[in-house]
Formats: sequence, structure tokens, C-alpha cells
Amino acid sequence: MKRSKFIALFGAALMLALAVFAADVVIIKVQATKLRLQPKFFAQTILSLQAGDRLEKVGESEGWIKVKTSSGIFGWVHSSAAETPKFALSAMNTTLKSKATASEVALAGKGFNKQVEESYRAAHGDISFVWVDRMLVFKANPAQVEDFLRRGRLGEYGGAK
Amino acid sequence: MKPPRPGIRIWAVIALAACLASCEMIEQNVEILSGGRVTARDAQKVLETGEKIRGTFADITEEEEYYIGRSVAALILAKYPVYGNETVIQYLNTVGNAVAAFSDRPEIYAGYHFLALDSEEVNALSAPSGFIFVTKGLLRRCRDEEMLALILAHEVGHVTGKHGLQAIKKSRLADLFTFAGTEAVQRYGPAQIARLTNLFEGALSDIAEQLIERGYDRKYEYDADAMAVAYGSRTGYEAGGIVRFLETMVNDASPAAAQGWFKTHPTAEQRIDRINREIGSLKTAPKIDEVRTKRFKQSVGALK
Repeated sequence: MKRSKFIALFGAALMLALAVFAADVVIIKVQATKLRLQPKFFAQTILSLQAGDRLEKVGESEGWIKVKTSSGIFGWVHSSAAETPKFALSAMNTTLKSKATASEVALAGKGFNKQVEESYRAAHGDISFVWVDRMLVFKANPAQVEDFLRRGRLGEYGGAK
Repeated sequence: MKPPRPGIRIWAVIALAACLASCEMIEQNVEILSGGRVTARDAQKVLETGEKIRGTFADITEEEEYYIGRSVAALILAKYPVYGNETVIQYLNTVGNAVAAFSDRPEIYAGYHFLALDSEEVNALSAPSGFIFVTKGLLRRCRDEEMLALILAHEVGHVTGKHGLQAIKKSRLADLFTFAGTEAVQRYGPAQIARLTNLFEGALSDIAEQLIERGYDRKYEYDADAMAVAYGSRTGYEAGGIVRFLETMVNDASPAAAQGWFKTHPTAEQRIDRINREIGSLKTAPKIDEVRTKRFKQSVGALK
């Protein structure tokens, strides 16, 4: 077999195999989210999930992914909170190691991370992060938002159309 | 020895690739698995065409975006003082999170967070990863919850569209992706951290220049307006709220109006025309509701 044909076939087979092996796993990519009983934001929550948690994908519906935890619990996560992991052989190989996928960088916590922010802050003492940290304290949890929607006749509580 | 038949070779290659993709085999050397018939350069070609190796702003991870967003937020706060009224801040966070829940990116690394700025400029700013700011001058222009909600939905649109991240120079991203792909360490050493901090500073500068000084490109503003109409109406707000807000800016020659949101945006008239077309294409168009206007006045009406 000619080398170019081998490469093309090898690449196609690799992509097929990666798709087969990786299609049924998703990894949580946000700091924290909830496993929900139904595919909607204000549904009852079952348990808390955090960045890096691996779940088995068993279905999907309009932006939501149905998943199963390692302990066999079924529920829903929004697609913006999870990703299908992608792994690059090049990042694992000592001779070819030159690039990595977003999944690998995210799981390793590499790239721009807390350590980089600390270094930036040390060099820029005039830039204050006090209110940035306080901003994170002001939040509206889903129960508050749902109550706000209900009282304001918004979302599924909507009135005049 | 007779060479193997082509069919056997094909199945052998498929089996080889399948093994390669499995978790157990993935760490083994490509050269070994390819039986020495593929050089390192060839294998790299396979890898580059077959995988989603980081290449564009869209491959910046959620965590990286969060740390970029935190520092861009800090740069915004270095320019504007905070309006620390907790009633106003809590109200902004509730309205903002309501429209974010109906956006295309309801979940973001550390959630959406909103803050008021003590400035008479009419301005709203959004840092990557959902750090969103509105000035007192802008809040004073809003007469009801719909107007505020649609402006916050516009800013959420900039975040979901990753418009801030798109300001980062491609060459800087290429350096980051190569560097972060090669340095497989748990904690960076002094030389590595110095290099990354340099790239980080450059990325912040790219974003801050666009966000604070120059403003988003016209295309991104129109995109964010379209997203505001979509997210606002999905939430149940009257999408015309943004038109009523923009109408307050038409022919306004005051210094407060000339700065901030309208310093660099397309003109109010240009935006109104496009937004009205977006609203006209909605399947259902919610109407304004007095119950919401009342609570808006209770929360924001007494703005000092």
C-alpha cells in the first residue's frame, strides 16, 4: 500500500474509531452544575456536578443531554455545561508532542489558569480584583430566578403574547 | 513471502486505529503502532487532519476564558467606580440571569454576574465568561424592566458569541496553544509562567482595547442585537424594549450619550431598523406587563 493511501486510510479509521469510543462520554466543563430530573432549567435537581466529572451520554433533546452517572443515576445536563472529550495522540507522544486539544488542556488545568492570574496580579499591583471577587458573591440561584419569572409572568408563567 | 491481500491490510489498519483510540492504547507510541511504516511527520499529518487540536478562539477552554474574563473585569473596574447599591445589584443579577437562562449559553464556567458602575456615561460592557456591567447613566434611561432586560440580553449575546475572545490576535493564540500543548506539567516553573503571563497580558490588552477603547465591530453589535431580541422574547419580555431604549438616544447630543455604548456602536437609527425587522420575524411577541414595570421602579427607580 502506498504511504499516502495508508495515511488517508489510517486517518479515516482513526476518526471513526475515536467517534465510536468517545461518543458516549461527556465531561462537565463548567465549575459547577446540577443533574436535573427533566430537560429544563427549573426542574428538580438530583445531585451536584463539577468540572471534570465524566458521565455516560444516553440521549439528547433540544440542547439537553440525558446522562447516566457512574452510580447508575439518570438525569439531564445542559449541553453548554458539558463537552464530548477529544484527545490528541500528539500530546501523549514524546516525539510528536506539540499540540493538545481543548479537552486535554481543560482536564490538565493548563494554559491561562489561577497561577497565571497570580503572576499577572503580582506584576500589576494597581489592578484591584476586590470587586471582581465580590461580583461572584452576587448571584441569582435557579430557585430565585424561577420565583422572579413566576411573579413577573415570564417564561412558562408568561401571560400576554 | 507473499504480501498480504489489500482487504486484510484495510482491516488491519482499522483494527490498529481502533486500538489506538482506546484509552489503554492511546498513550503508546504512534511509530510503534504503525509498525514503523509511518514516519513521525506522516503521523503528525494524520493527527492534524483527524483531531480537533486547538486552533482558534473557539478552542479557548471555559477555565481559560474565566481567567481572561476576571482580569478584563478588573481592567473595566480600574476605569469605572462601582455603584454598590445592593438592591440594584441583586435586581440586575436576577434580571440578567433570567435572560441568560433562555440564551444559547445558559451555563458558563462560574455563572453570569452583573454589576452597576457609578458613571453618568450611557454604557454597558461585558467581559468574557459572563462578567457584565451597566452604568448608572444607562439605568436612568430605562423606564421599565423590558428595556433593562433587553440591554442585558444584548450583553449576554456578546458573551455567548465570544465576541471579546475574538479580539485576541491569532498569532498570540497560536503561541498559547503550542505552549500549553507542549508543557505537560502540573505546575509551571518561573520561565514557563513568565512566558504565559506575557501572552496573558497581550490577550487582555487585545480585548480591553476593543471593549473599552474602540468598541466592538459593527457586525458584532448587530449580532448581539439579534440575540437580545431572541433571548428577551424567549424569556417573555417585549423585545421592543431595546427599541424604546434606543429611541431615547436618537438626536441626543449630550456628553453622556456621546460616550460609552454609542461612542462606537452603529447609530441608534441604524440599529432600530434592523431590530424592528428581527421583531417582525418573531413567531410570538410577548407584550409589556405592568407587574414588571412596577418592580423595576421599586428596585431602580430611586437611583441616586
